[in-house]
Amino acid sequence: MSTTWTKTRIPIDGGKIKEAMFGEKIPLHMKNWVLAMGTTPFILFPLQIITGILLALYFVPSVEMAYESVRHISQDIRYGFWIRGIHHWGANLMVISLFLHMMRVFFTHSYRKPREINWVFGFLLLSLTLTISFTGYSLTYNQVSYWAATVGTNLVKEIPLIGGFVLSLLRGSEGVTAHTLTRFYTLHVWILPVVISLIIGAHIFLVRSHGVSEPDGFEKGHYDFYPGHFYKIIVVTLFLISLLSLLSVVLPPGLGEQADPANTPLHIKPEWYFFPVFLILRFVPLQLGLAITGLAIVLMIFWPFIEPMLSKKKKSRTVIANIIGCIAIVILITLTIFEAFSII
Amino acid sequence: MENKNITQWLIGVFSLVMIVSLMIVAGYEVNKTKEQGHEIDVDKVSARCITCHEKENIAVKQIHAWEESEHALMGIGCNECHEAKEGDFDAFYCENSDMLVGRHPTPKDCEECHDQEVKEFANSKHAHQFWLFANADRATFENPISTRHGCEQCHQIGNLWPDGSVGECDACHSKHSFDLAVARQPETCGECHIGPDHPHIEIYNESKHGNIFKAKGSDWAMDYHTDNFEPIPIEAPVCATCHMDGNETQPMTHDVSARLAWESQSPWSYRTVWDEENLGSWDMKRGRMESICQSCHAPDFVDTYLLTADLVNLQYNEMRRNFVYWTKKLTNNGTIDRLKANGEFKSNPVLNGWDETPEHEMYYAWHHEGRRFRHGAEMMGADFTQWHGVWELQEDMVELITWAAEHGDHEAEKWVISNHPSKFVPYALYDIPGNAWGIGAKTNTTPFVYNEYSDYWDRVKANVKTAYEKGLLTKDQWNLWMDRYENKDHYLGLKYANDPKVVEKWDFYKERNAIDTKAFKEQAVQLKLPGKPFYTK
Amino acid sequence: MVKKKKVKLNRREFFKKTGYLGIIALGIGAFLKNIFLYISPEQKEKTYHKYLVGKKNQILPGKAKEITIQGKPVFVVNQGTEFKVFSGVCTHLGCIIKWEENNDGFYCPCHQGFFDKSGRVVSGPPPTPLTEFPVVEEKNLIYIQVEDKKKGPWA
Repeated sequence: MSTTWTKTRIPIDGGKIKEAMFGEKIPLHMKNWVLAMGTTPFILFPLQIITGILLALYFVPSVEMAYESVRHISQDIRYGFWIRGIHHWGANLMVISLFLHMMRVFFTHSYRKPREINWVFGFLLLSLTLTISFTGYSLTYNQVSYWAATVGTNLVKEIPLIGGFVLSLLRGSEGVTAHTLTRFYTLHVWILPVVISLIIGAHIFLVRSHGVSEPDGFEKGHYDFYPGHFYKIIVVTLFLISLLSLLSVVLPPGLGEQADPANTPLHIKPEWYFFPVFLILRFVPLQLGLAITGLAIVLMIFWPFIEPMLSKKKKSRTVIANIIGCIAIVILITLTIFEAFSII
Repeated sequence: MENKNITQWLIGVFSLVMIVSLMIVAGYEVNKTKEQGHEIDVDKVSARCITCHEKENIAVKQIHAWEESEHALMGIGCNECHEAKEGDFDAFYCENSDMLVGRHPTPKDCEECHDQEVKEFANSKHAHQFWLFANADRATFENPISTRHGCEQCHQIGNLWPDGSVGECDACHSKHSFDLAVARQPETCGECHIGPDHPHIEIYNESKHGNIFKAKGSDWAMDYHTDNFEPIPIEAPVCATCHMDGNETQPMTHDVSARLAWESQSPWSYRTVWDEENLGSWDMKRGRMESICQSCHAPDFVDTYLLTADLVNLQYNEMRRNFVYWTKKLTNNGTIDRLKANGEFKSNPVLNGWDETPEHEMYYAWHHEGRRFRHGAEMMGADFTQWHGVWELQEDMVELITWAAEHGDHEAEKWVISNHPSKFVPYALYDIPGNAWGIGAKTNTTPFVYNEYSDYWDRVKANVKTAYEKGLLTKDQWNLWMDRYENKDHYLGLKYANDPKVVEKWDFYKERNAIDTKAFKEQAVQLKLPGKPFYTK
Repeated sequence: MVKKKKVKLNRREFFKKTGYLGIIALGIGAFLKNIFLYISPEQKEKTYHKYLVGKKNQILPGKAKEITIQGKPVFVVNQGTEFKVFSGVCTHLGCIIKWEENNDGFYCPCHQGFFDKSGRVVSGPPPTPLTEFPVVEEKNLIYIQVEDKKKGPWA
């Protein structure tokens, strides 16, 4: 009786939703945990949304209060250090897992036709993740984050033609001021989360439409999303919450010193995922450095379209792609490690 | 199916892992310290002072110090202490304002709330009037400007103000935070109790007490209150712990004389008679100190330690008697002169004078080494009893008598010529069999006086007995001494000196010493170099 | 025979299922509990400190002294035999009262409430007497007990 009552009024077919959510057929190779890396950012994202909303309950985006409110959350509020720890380490883990997911996609060549566009979406998601990390990091308003914001936004100025305009849009004023803080805040808690959610939707829609790619060299066949894969997601979720909780205790994000616009600290470094760019910029002229980085980015975005131009034979394309991928990884890791251990 | 079972298992396991992680997080949350200061309410008058002082940038740090104080929290603002009436000795109108301000709050101002402390302080020797002492006329020897930032700075603690109050509270309670931790810091006492004439901070630093404080004190919360008969909350005492703080049995006091049994800064050591109507006799004061000692120490140790220190004080008097004998004799026969002006003597042969060697020796033997000798013995400063104490006292004596001999005194000449070891003991002796630390099986086999004079301990006993009978030692102390005397073979270790276990070890070290002596001779004494000296006689 | 076996198997399955569902529920519960504590403001035990509000010889009988504590006015009134300290916030709707020495009482301008010098309502709408602070008299000094307030912008 009651089921028909609601069904008449809210005509949603539960079965179809269930089918849409759980009915997916998963290729057998996904039983291998390593090959299911894309799930991690998919779990972390809602976790960031939840902890982000909780942090927003106490965070005050003003020059006077930003640092103090972060301190308040970390020191006074019950479990505040935990929420902030999860959010902080969740962001770091997000970047790592995206890189790993991307590497898997690259080396299994899953970006190939017909999935080129989804690679581009994936790359956009990575870029937006780095942007949302950068804006979030700047909100803590300590010395390092303040100067990271100053230096980071100054780079934008070097973009030919529109650089100055974009910079003023980002900062909302000439220097890094209260306007910048509120702009970064708006980007971090409204604009970027919405944009990222939409692109994640598109990304998953395309994955489901094409079906998960089936790389060569694995047993063919499919298994049900539910329960096997669904349980896997639950295990990973539990593991991630445990890991992030422990990190919040073992390596709690610090407070640093309150931002002082009149005094640049002796040692400033961006977050580790910007190390390669940061290192290049330290050693080559600014314009050249940005050109190199820009070229690398363009190459990566359009890689699925560039690859077919390199060779006609599928086999030699695979070899070339693998070599280029390996070189790129070695360069990135080398630059990151080098920067991590270099003292400025 | 197999796979599903494993994943179900994993879900269970990881749920547990998550629960454990969250428990760790909860544990961290519980232990998280949330110490934060309290907001203060600044009253209207203080707000006016602060606004102007900050604008004019006058002593702003003092305002910050006050903001951290308990005074600020309790609404004790500027005017509560700096209040002034027209005609007060220190009243002035604050520049560009109509506010009449007392420039210098005195104990009379503090007394309004801290009356017990002010009263106790005024009854203590801290408040005693330095300028009563003949010896305070330092300007004879040291010109007046030097005394401004010399004597006067420290003796400000007992200043007698035009308003009739006595003392300077902020000598220890640094204004304007009046932080108890600062007041209790040994260096606060050490601002004055330092240097050659009373190196109390140095003595404290070399004592076990000071060492423990140095090692661990930075972790102790030193701003505790002690007026509630509660146990001492720190592991080792600072100066204030023994001389002022309360414990389970003793009330806190600002009368630093309440627990002292000697006037051992004085030219002669004597049992204190300070404020007996309020504080009782010296042995009651000693009793108070012992109650504090016993927070940490067994009575047996405390009694033996303090009795030995008391005998050091008495011994000092016998040594001083010898100095006084010589300076008096040399003054009377005209070898040295007293200072004189307008037919009045301006120096005293047993206190000061300063222009002739015997006067210096006598002065040092009291005011510097004489105090170090006594105070080191009272506060565990072994080096100050020994090298900065008795060693220098004896040197002073040798130099004084040698000077007399050189200036034609026959008795002194005889002393100089004498080669008997007893020449260094031209006075009566006090002693106690053994020490407070333990029994030394061979320690007491060496001293010349022990071996030379078979009636040594009987002579000493007669002296100690006289001191006891004259009221310089208590009955308990005399009993303690007699117990040691009657069992002196045990306390001196002589009973054990020939025990095979002891002799075996003794011989072992004898052999080692022989090896040392041999090396010493070979490497240094017997070494002859071929190169000729450059100057030859 | 077959039926019995099946039942047995189901029971084992049932316990296993409730077992690990229970653990998950416990985990989720712990997670949500922490979040709940994070969201809900902490109820701290109130602590107090003594605060000096005046000196006896400076407030003559029948006179009142106004001071400000935690941003609100407080009145110290010499009742002749003792000192009373009132919050200056009207018990009606929270306006600030004024001391009227000629009328020996407090007047609230918002709704014409009037309290006598002991804080009792004489006329007007106020429902209860003025809030009184506990007074501690020490010699010449008048203290009240004031609630401790944490330093910073959050209190």
